[in-house]
Amino acid sequence: MECRVLSIQSHVVRGYVGNKSATFPLQVLGFEVDSINSVQFSNHTGYAHWKGQVLTADELNVLYEGIMLNKVNRYDYILTGYSRDTSFLKTVVDIIQELKKANPGLVYVCDPVMGDQGAMYVPEYLLPVYRDKVVPLADILTPNQFEAELLTGRKITTEEDAVEVMDLLHKMGPETVVLTSTDLPSKCGDQFLVALGSQKIVKPDGTKTNQKICMDIPKVDAVFVGTGDLFAAMLLAWTHHHPKDLKAACEKTVSVMHHVIKRTITYANEMAGPGKRPSPAQLELRMVQSKADIENPAIVVEAKVLHESSQ
Amino acid sequence: MECRVLSIQSHVVRGYVGNKSASFPLQVLGFEVDSINSVQFSNHTGYSHWKGQVLTADELHVLYEGIKLNNVHHYDYVLTGYTRDTSFLEMVVDIVQELKRANPNLVYVCDPVLGDHGSMYVPENLYPVYKNKVVPVADIITPNQFEAELLTGKNISTEKDAVEVMDLLHAMGPDTVVITSSDLPSRLGDRFLVSLGSQRKVRPDGSRTTQRVRIEVPKVDAVFVGTGDLFAAMLLAWTHHNPNDLKMACEKTFSVMHHVIKRTISYAHELAGPGRRPSPPQLELRMVQSKADIEDPAVVIEATVIS
Repeated sequence: MECRVLSIQSHVVRGYVGNKSATFPLQVLGFEVDSINSVQFSNHTGYAHWKGQVLTADELNVLYEGIMLNKVNRYDYILTGYSRDTSFLKTVVDIIQELKKANPGLVYVCDPVMGDQGAMYVPEYLLPVYRDKVVPLADILTPNQFEAELLTGRKITTEEDAVEVMDLLHKMGPETVVLTSTDLPSKCGDQFLVALGSQKIVKPDGTKTNQKICMDIPKVDAVFVGTGDLFAAMLLAWTHHHPKDLKAACEKTVSVMHHVIKRTITYANEMAGPGKRPSPAQLELRMVQSKADIENPAIVVEAKVLHESSQ
Repeated sequence: MECRVLSIQSHVVRGYVGNKSASFPLQVLGFEVDSINSVQFSNHTGYSHWKGQVLTADELHVLYEGIKLNNVHHYDYVLTGYTRDTSFLEMVVDIVQELKRANPNLVYVCDPVLGDHGSMYVPENLYPVYKNKVVPVADIITPNQFEAELLTGKNISTEKDAVEVMDLLHAMGPDTVVITSSDLPSRLGDRFLVSLGSQRKVRPDGSRTTQRVRIEVPKVDAVFVGTGDLFAAMLLAWTHHNPNDLKMACEKTFSVMHHVIKRTISYAHELAGPGRRPSPPQLELRMVQSKADIEDPAVVIEATVIS
């Protein structure tokens, strides 16, 4: 498999967020990963302390220039996540546009990180950049419920709402949308959250079709950092292997997440000791220890097809 | 296995040198790798063009401070390689010394990158820093012949010279020394180069013993970048698994190198086409494709125990 990903995300010295979260699993699955580190921090910002440096939009351009000058700007995928800076994000958009011209089949996987649980945790003025410039370029989008609502201006209170929101997101650009988590009630009870996905495909005979799926995902009693980044990376990998089967791609992706998270939480609780809440350092994803699950995830979550329709 | 490595090396967006060369193989072998990127370049400097930014000594210190403030500055290994800046190198030494105070069992694996084939390719003022500050705190070093000669002030023309140079290096600090390549004639002919290793141990009764090995390594007709970084990382891994058996650690390490290089050169020639010399992009190590060899290298190179 000759598949090259350009991932533009954070780097942390210690732990697994951003490029640290995305790179190893993709490499383990045989992808070539070129990585531009948008920041270099000691660790993620959920620790008591964090220190480091950020890359400016100019510096990002300089790195991209180096790639261009050597004529090695051939990519199959671009992957982006958490960003705090509008000029940086706009430069990312310019780069993606150029790379799409150079690589017509290029797939841009975008996690439009803006916030969660009703609150934004990036500067507000990133929203118009995402809505008007980034999402229109994206081919695969992994918003949570809050981000999907922000981008479309529509609230989600029922599964129907979620379906409509995904259709609105399709209209903005991406053919594949996964709502990574929602507050919708799960048929399996309140120990589960609901995720949904929607993919527009053009069949070999030229007809268009749309597959929508939903998944009930076991909740975990802990706050993880870097899981969204791992999710987007694994969705990239599994949609690559199942380009017209969102059900299969999501089952693999969500299953990997489950194995990594389970291993992590067991270890974190062990480290913290009985009755104590694990610290951010202890809750770092057990990434290298999960290599076998990453390579070949046992399916533990089943996605249900909501409906397939022709368009 | 709970083993944490702090690797302070370059990052390139594309390709495999520095941290890009060291991290994936170590992670694949189950090591936790914390990485401080000393630079971020588009690609290594052997391409026609390269662009990027460097980390200053102060910025390095700031990152380390973050790790320390969170009380997560506990490492089993530190790994360093190519550096061009004396103040950066001196800051690295300070950090290694502090980390050794936090963990007295810490093993510092140092590739003292100074040059090759008779000439220096870093600024000359790095040499005294390596000699007087870095090598004395190193536990494992991987100099080539030129670097070993530079550090000890002694030339190597025979195997006996090489053994003496390795003993001189032991006296400077490191208990494990591997001269990664030399011009010494190989018993297997001129398609091979000679590498040597020496490991000094203290027996339970206090007496000292030294195991020395010679390795005949098949030469390859190509210039690779990043292989030294991969070598140091894999020597870290295989000495970790074979702490008292340099012969075995070297056989594993040199064998991994062989598999990765062989795969790389085949692919490079395929890309370049018949009769054409592969370009630097085409010669990037086939790292992710070599995962199985990295995990479990078939031993194809034998180390001979000498003296």
